[in-house]
Amino acid sequence: MKIPEKVLEIAEAIKTMKIRGAGKIARAAAEALKIAAEKYDGPKDPDEFRKYMNKVANLILSTRPTAVSLPNAVIYVMYHLGKATGDINDLKETVIKSAEKFINDSLQAVKKIGEIGARRIKDNSVVLTHCHSTAAASVIINAYRMGKIIKVYSTETRPFYQGRITARHLLEAGVPVVQIPDSAVRYIMHEVDQVIVGADTIASNGAVINKIGTSQVALAAHEARVRVFVAAETYKFSPATLIGELVPIEFRDPTEIVPREWINKHKNVEVLNPSFDVTPPEYIDAIITEQGVIPPQAAILVLLERFGWALEKIKQGGIGKILFEETLEEE
Amino acid sequence: MGKTNLMNELLKHGYSNRLTGTSLALKIIDDLQNVLQENNIDSFINKYLEIIHFLEKERPASMASWNILRMVGEYVLSNGISGLSEYLQYLKNKIDRDSWEAAKIAANRVVDGDVLMTISNSMAVRKMFKILVDEGVKFSVYVLESRPGMEGLDTASYLDSLGVKTYLIVDSAARFFMKKVKKVFVGAEAIAVNGAVVGKIGTSLLCLTANEARVRVFVVAPLYKFSFETIYGELIELPEGDWRLLMNEDVRKTLPENYSARAPLYDVTPPYLIDGIATEYGLFAPQAVPVILRQVYGGFPPKLRPVNEIVKELVELRGEYR
Repeated sequence: MKIPEKVLEIAEAIKTMKIRGAGKIARAAAEALKIAAEKYDGPKDPDEFRKYMNKVANLILSTRPTAVSLPNAVIYVMYHLGKATGDINDLKETVIKSAEKFINDSLQAVKKIGEIGARRIKDNSVVLTHCHSTAAASVIINAYRMGKIIKVYSTETRPFYQGRITARHLLEAGVPVVQIPDSAVRYIMHEVDQVIVGADTIASNGAVINKIGTSQVALAAHEARVRVFVAAETYKFSPATLIGELVPIEFRDPTEIVPREWINKHKNVEVLNPSFDVTPPEYIDAIITEQGVIPPQAAILVLLERFGWALEKIKQGGIGKILFEETLEEE
Repeated sequence: MGKTNLMNELLKHGYSNRLTGTSLALKIIDDLQNVLQENNIDSFINKYLEIIHFLEKERPASMASWNILRMVGEYVLSNGISGLSEYLQYLKNKIDRDSWEAAKIAANRVVDGDVLMTISNSMAVRKMFKILVDEGVKFSVYVLESRPGMEGLDTASYLDSLGVKTYLIVDSAARFFMKKVKKVFVGAEAIAVNGAVVGKIGTSLLCLTANEARVRVFVVAPLYKFSFETIYGELIELPEGDWRLLMNEDVRKTLPENYSARAPLYDVTPPYLIDGIATEYGLFAPQAVPVILRQVYGGFPPKLRPVNEIVKELVELRGEYR
């Protein structure tokens, strides 16, 4: 049975970054698995179907080897397929249902995080946020509607000024927001009651990989005894870190910081533009997920709950090498 | 792209050619020297008051300028304008000498292979870089771009012209690179009696990340940066700007109408985040500031009058001449 055209298209779109952003990639991956199951018209042998699905899963995994949300979506669906028994229709149903559940959960996650997170915000709070995070914004907007937030400080977030997106996002929701340069974080911290940021990836020890500057925001908050919350969907937890894999930090183009002409004029100056940094768990008071609030050190709990089955596979070969053929032999 | 295009591009990010604390003090001396050409004490005092007014509004924390004005004011109260031109020249030379001396002492802390980090644009720190290059010390420097104003670009340009390996990074990346850094050197706009340092905004955050990584922090600041008023409990006023310091009009137009921003220009680094202050009198712990003042001025507190008292008397003096 050949992989359906539509599935190949989605894989290609993820690969070429036509589909971007942790949430969208994850949902597209689940969607591809769902379509693959729906379009399967090969032999009625359950083993054949499993082999076919493994092939599709491996194809999708190969599109973006370092992304976290993508393998997590695939693992989620394939985990349920691995556990399922019954005839071909039962298995198809399992893939379709779990893919749909993943997509739906992912869409609901931001809303749930907003509800749960807002409960953690104290009355009359001044909140500081860094960069732009849909999950963090969801918490802020919810808490504001509950009458808990009086003001938000949003950092500009150089080099790309995602803070301006946050400012717009919050202003549209009626939240009073004041932008500050990233350098003013410690200066402003004594006015701040709580810090809330998003996450790109969460490692198994609870370290949070997020936009460059997050770790020094958390450090300044820690110094001032201001609480730091991270709002993150559970699919941002990285199973690969459990086997010691490092989360690669992308260095982006220096022209995001200064114009090319400036760079060319200064031969002894190298402009370095790391996109992310790592905030250690000791500076984070809690991670707010759609499943509930956890201390960062309990990140492993989320990994076990969500990816328990896959962990063995990951230990054997790392996230990029999860071979779904093996699942067949095990079952 | 021509030069103006590059400038336009930088202005979108709120780049500005801001004078360092020391450059401003030197410019004030030049301005006073110029008005002295008229040989009229009345116009001299007028210029003096005009500068005081400017400082109160724009650079209230710029202690080098306040201290220069204190000395010039006292001189005029005792001697009028006779010999003032020579006195102004003396002050100018003193600033130059003291900042070189402080830079020399700071430079002694740097050894071959050191990786340094700095923020903003400080004349004393520049002089330290120059001394190190002249002495043949091999070192590299991480420079924070230093928003608002982005004077870090000027520091990076200067280091480039000295042939020093330089890394330009955003302010947010200080902690990311701190593990690679051996020592942090910063300048100061003012130093308070308890050893707290008023510096470009972001200095305190940089020092905090250094402290966390056990990287030593040195402030290069000649004693003319000292705020004598703080001995009597005065707080150093820290000015703030708005979105105009972060972008130009064109960029502002792309943002919502009710967008607002606060752009503080200075912050206070507490003494416990600083390992040493390099002055022309040597390197010492920030908490030892009163000791140095006692040594230099022969007692503590130093017998210096607040600038506002001097200003009042100058206004009266001007009246007498009218």
